[in-house]
Amino acid sequence: MSMSFLPEDMNWICRPCGVKLQPSTVELSYLGSVFSVELPACPQCGAVLISEELATGRMLQVEQLLEDK
Amino acid sequence: MDQKELREWESRCIQEEPPACTAGCPLGVDARAFVQAMVQGDMQTARRILEKTMPLIGITARICEAPCENFCLRKDLGGSIAVGLLERSCISSAPRQGKILCLPSRGKKTGVLGGGPSSLVAAFDLAKKGYAVTLISSTSPGGWLSDMPSTVIPPEILAEELAVLEKMGVWFESATTLTPDVLAEVRTRCQTVYIGHDGELDTELCNLLANVAPETMALPEEGLFTGGIADAEHLWRYITSVAQGRAAALSMDRHMQGVSLTAARPRPRHGHTDLFTSLKDVNPKARIIPSTENDNYSPDEARQEAERCINCQCLECVRHCVYLQEFGSYPKVYSRRVYNNEAIVKGTHQTNTFINSCSLCGQCEILCPHDFSMATLCLEARQRMVEENRMPPSAHAFALDEMRAALSSQFELVRMAPGHQSSSAIFFPGCQLAAVRPDQTIALYHHLRAQWRDTGIWIGCCGAPAHWAGRKTEFREIGEQFLQSWRKLGSPRVLTCCSSCLQMFRKQLPEVDAQSVWSITAPPLNAAAPAKQLPLALTDPCTARNDKATQAAVRRLIADLGQELADLPLSGELTECCGYGGLMDNANPELTRKVLENRVSQTSADFLTYCIMCREQLARTGRPVLHILDLLFPETARSAEEAPLGISTRRANRRALKIRLQEEYFGERISPPEEWQGISLKIASELLPILEKRRILTDDIRQVLWLTEQSGRYFEHQSRGIRLTSARLGEVFFWLEYVLNGNEYLLQKAWSHRMVPAKVTK
Ligand code: SF4
Ligand code: SF4
Ligand SMILES: [Zn+2]
Repeated sequence: MSMSFLPEDMNWICRPCGVKLQPSTVELSYLGSVFSVELPACPQCGAVLISEELATGRMLQVEQLLEDK
Repeated sequence: MDQKELREWESRCIQEEPPACTAGCPLGVDARAFVQAMVQGDMQTARRILEKTMPLIGITARICEAPCENFCLRKDLGGSIAVGLLERSCISSAPRQGKILCLPSRGKKTGVLGGGPSSLVAAFDLAKKGYAVTLISSTSPGGWLSDMPSTVIPPEILAEELAVLEKMGVWFESATTLTPDVLAEVRTRCQTVYIGHDGELDTELCNLLANVAPETMALPEEGLFTGGIADAEHLWRYITSVAQGRAAALSMDRHMQGVSLTAARPRPRHGHTDLFTSLKDVNPKARIIPSTENDNYSPDEARQEAERCINCQCLECVRHCVYLQEFGSYPKVYSRRVYNNEAIVKGTHQTNTFINSCSLCGQCEILCPHDFSMATLCLEARQRMVEENRMPPSAHAFALDEMRAALSSQFELVRMAPGHQSSSAIFFPGCQLAAVRPDQTIALYHHLRAQWRDTGIWIGCCGAPAHWAGRKTEFREIGEQFLQSWRKLGSPRVLTCCSSCLQMFRKQLPEVDAQSVWSITAPPLNAAAPAKQLPLALTDPCTARNDKATQAAVRRLIADLGQELADLPLSGELTECCGYGGLMDNANPELTRKVLENRVSQTSADFLTYCIMCREQLARTGRPVLHILDLLFPETARSAEEAPLGISTRRANRRALKIRLQEEYFGERISPPEEWQGISLKIASELLPILEKRRILTDDIRQVLWLTEQSGRYFEHQSRGIRLTSARLGEVFFWLEYVLNGNEYLLQKAWSHRMVPAKVTK
């Protein structure tokens, strides 16, 4: 699952940090597996944004795959 | 599951037993598959099926006397399928399909004396097995076959089959007469010799053929075998010869390989099979008589005749169960899949969803002639998955959360009757009734107390979801917890409306005297079926399948109410699950939809049930469904058309019911609500079905929003005025997109996931 999942709309500001989310390297882990992906995150506090499209699409598929592994 | 257990499971399902025709065929021809190919008019496939088992096919398919027909299940329903005539029809319409494959030479020689059909078959089989065969006859090979009318066996067909034998390496020799001297000479060059009774043997040689062992066709003298013993009067002269030639060839092969002639030798079935085939819905249909004078079917007649074939199968369970149909096979194969699923070390466990989709309803066990229980197979597989930590965490997550909530102090309530220090009985409505019909729960409690003043009340959960999810330990602990509280109450009789609770108590906690409310109540005085109510289809909950007493009590109650019932064939012990049972709906919502559609398609009547989950599930199809409480307590009746309640409403009802009971009945002080419950929330209506599908509760939403208020952390859109926040509750991350209006949250979107994100810091 090493891919970029940047939403079209990147205009999000992290509160209370007050800085714009930036494309960042994020590790997604589940049931002992770890994937490195590119996602919007706050450069200051590290908060990550998981979009609806990602959560209910590719991520859900991968979760189910890992559950059956 | 180990190999031995797998074998045990497999042996229970007899679907792979041969149909009667195959069992009645001395060659074991797959007549069922053959006839089915003929139904399609697919002569090539039909011929290929015959080629698999039939020696000298051009002759056998033309003159076999078809003893199989004697065993055909159509026999008394219009006459056996004319397998013989169909074979004739096939053989004259399709050329040979595959090459005859002979095993590589074994470097061993074997002899065949006589040119009758049995000798030709023995030669055929031995050549196929890789032996060098010499066939010695005194007349032209074929024996009595050459005397057949040419309309039955055209001479060129016999010549063709002999050419096939030659091509397979059979060496033809001739002798003036077949005498013991010829035999003695052959024995010097061959390890085994077959002597065909149906050849032209001289009397002295014939005399040597006494005392044959019928199973192996071996003669007392080592290395000698015989066959073709059927005489011209014999009803099945040809096929008997063929079968004997084949049996002898098998023995000769074993003899030459130095293995036992009898050990693990497949026994002739003589029509015996364990395959069960229901003839319940099979209507008589007369056999098609060929219209042409040569007694052969036209292609059309052949198809019509083939269409009469019942296509004998068991599949009793599969015919009725949408779940078993969904995965395309039958329990014998399914048990292998479960076994293989466990054997996998690396790779995908493709059978997980299958195992978790069974509703554990037990209908298959009732239908199966050998009591195969898919429920037990799947439940035990789930238990092993849990034990070995292989159970997908999300498979049953929501149902387990719901159960744990119902058991938590927030929702559970256990009380003696108001003003009583002991209770001879306690009312246990079951977790779902309390959540879906709080008013009726109270009405029923009143009603019970009118009969027995000291009836206490227990709003809780029996732990069935833990059991269904394969969580043995958790289920046992819930049971122990239950017993403790129950003993504290003085071990009262437990009165429940829920068949699942009743089943759990009876199985798991036999010391508890658990009874169905329906079997002890009489209708209240004001109860009656609404005027002009049409007959209703009563669906028994699957967990009451074996509870005849409750089934009967419910029917009595309904009769007392004056309510008529419509016919619903699959009810009582054959009833179907609504998809809630076994947590099917959790693991496979798509399948549940099909199950429900199938159930309501069985009747045009509205439904009536005495299980609240059956009511809620069936109502999802749009078919009107009443719960028996709607008839018993008209003043609290809900419309049969009412849509099922959502997950959040159920949760809210549970909470409200506990508070109401505490305040109204027990005059207790209510503990203040949790802080997050004070969050002011508005949800866009188009979002509601999505929340339902994603199983996101308004409780979850409020908690996430409250946590956001505490932390002050969220994302804000630069221009659109919306906010985005998330929090992890248990194993699940929830995300909310909303607008904050004063202190009211307007929720626009919500989603969740389980993967854990972490930004990599450089
Ligand atoms: S009905 Fe068909 S499958 Fe059944 S025994 Fe007869 S030929 Fe065979
Ligand atoms: S009912 Fe089902 S499980 Fe039982 S023998 Fe028939 S196919 Fe197999
Ligand atoms: Zn930040």
